Amino acid sequence: MPIEFKELSYVYDEGMPFAHHALNKIDLAIEEGIVTAIVGKTGSGKSTMIEHLNALLLPSEGSLKILDHTIIAKEKNTNLKALRQKVGLVFQFSEYQLFEETIIKDVSFGPKNFGASEEEAVLKAKEALKLVGLDESYYERSPLNLSGGQKRRVAIAGILAMDPSIIVLDEPTAGLDPKGASEMMSIFKTLNKDYQKTIILVTHDNELVYDFADEVVLLDGGEVKAKLKCEDFFSDQTLIDTYKIVLPKIVALRNMLKEKGFKGLDEVRDIEELVERVVDFE
Amino acid sequence: MNKIVFGKYLPLNSPIHHLDPRAKILAMLVMLVAVFMPAGWYGYIVIAIILSIVTMIAKIKFSYIYRSFKPMMMMVIFLLIINILSFKEGVLLLDLGFLTVYSNALFQTFYIAVRLILMIMITTLLTFTTKPLDLTLGIEYVLGPFTRFGLPTHEIAMIISIALRFIPTIIEETMRIMNSQKSRGVDFEEGKLKEKVMAIVSLIVPLFSVAFQRADELANAMEARGYVPGEERTRYKQLKYTKNDFILLAGSFLVLAMVIVLAFVI
Repeated sequence: MPIEFKELSYVYDEGMPFAHHALNKIDLAIEEGIVTAIVGKTGSGKSTMIEHLNALLLPSEGSLKILDHTIIAKEKNTNLKALRQKVGLVFQFSEYQLFEETIIKDVSFGPKNFGASEEEAVLKAKEALKLVGLDESYYERSPLNLSGGQKRRVAIAGILAMDPSIIVLDEPTAGLDPKGASEMMSIFKTLNKDYQKTIILVTHDNELVYDFADEVVLLDGGEVKAKLKCEDFFSDQTLIDTYKIVLPKIVALRNMLKEKGFKGLDEVRDIEELVERVVDFE
Repeated sequence: MNKIVFGKYLPLNSPIHHLDPRAKILAMLVMLVAVFMPAGWYGYIVIAIILSIVTMIAKIKFSYIYRSFKPMMMMVIFLLIINILSFKEGVLLLDLGFLTVYSNALFQTFYIAVRLILMIMITTLLTFTTKPLDLTLGIEYVLGPFTRFGLPTHEIAMIISIALRFIPTIIEETMRIMNSQKSRGVDFEEGKLKEKVMAIVSLIVPLFSVAFQRADELANAMEARGYVPGEERTRYKQLKYTKNDFILLAGSFLVLAMVIVLAFVI
């Protein structure tokens, strides 16, 4: 297990009268090489949780194991920088992190911080930019004059250039148009399938979860309420009722068809295929 | 990041919160003048006690007030250094040969620190208990008489209220950008000078870009809602003085009078 939370709690403003328990005794293991989605309402602790993965927040209680780093509450933690290189955190609206004069400089900023030489960093930056679909003509342009979608690609390239083995995505498609969003997600699919990166996806969008995730973790009130395979998660009726989970359109459609007496549609994920099965159904 | 409390409004329900913003602003000005009178320790003790009572009436926790003092510490340290270098009176406390510390330097710093603390207490009490919008309205009324000298009072009030409104937003934004840059390996705490400069640049540039973007959006939103600077505007909320406002004003003038007596008569 590359990531293991053990009885981890986090309290904002600890010791103050308005202290807020954002995470409550989280026990969670996240597997390597798969896509794990973390879902939950606003304020359920999702963001707090992922900030722990980069040691931007340190646990108030409990411990956290990430690859070969162990972070224990109330102990002095060293070598956080090395950890941050291995876990790439793509923040919500990550385009706000751009600051250099040229795109190539901005993307190579991360690797340089982690000790890569100028040439190495530029090489990594070029690779990362290619991965997000920005060609050479972009290298010398200012990142601040791009469109929103392109800016986000540059920002993501900035994380990928660090060559992390775990990539954490916080609402990666927020504010993008449908085309931009699906292109963005296909980049991450490639990273997962072809580069064996472990991906953690935090989102509100259950369509995205269904299209993309292998495992789903449900957070509510700072506690892990469920950890299931994606298909099982969206067919667990008690869970759906208790937490008012919005079903992905295709699952909802399948359920409706099932009610009408159609059989054998389970686990059909593609709309075309679903239509074919319905047409062929006798 | 809600650690910085300066300029924030605390939505509580207290008699102080319900006071007229004009009365509160005037009382604040009077109290600030009082703090600047050379009234000696007795004067300051009285002012501090009165401010503490007002804080309690306003139901504000002292820990909040205390937190707004923290940013001031750097200033006090700076003052202390200047004073140690310039004041050579009083009792010699420490002699390092090249550096001598006299009691008056410490005394003077402490004196100014107390003044600063009282000033911050007065101003934070105002912002803690007054809605930004009411504050703007109050400022506009208080500046009203200067309109005839060509002072754009309404615009000034609007600028102040927007600035106040955006302090917490910008702080939040700063924290967010700092986190993203930390994730990219920036070390804000340690490092060589060159690395530190780079760290600051990686924070400042996005921050400016976000601030300008926000300003642009805000300007558009204001225009879309028909805002024209300098135009005559009507108001939904009309200010009215009540009995409590007069008590506040009378009280603050009383404090000023007392301080003047302490400073110049006795």
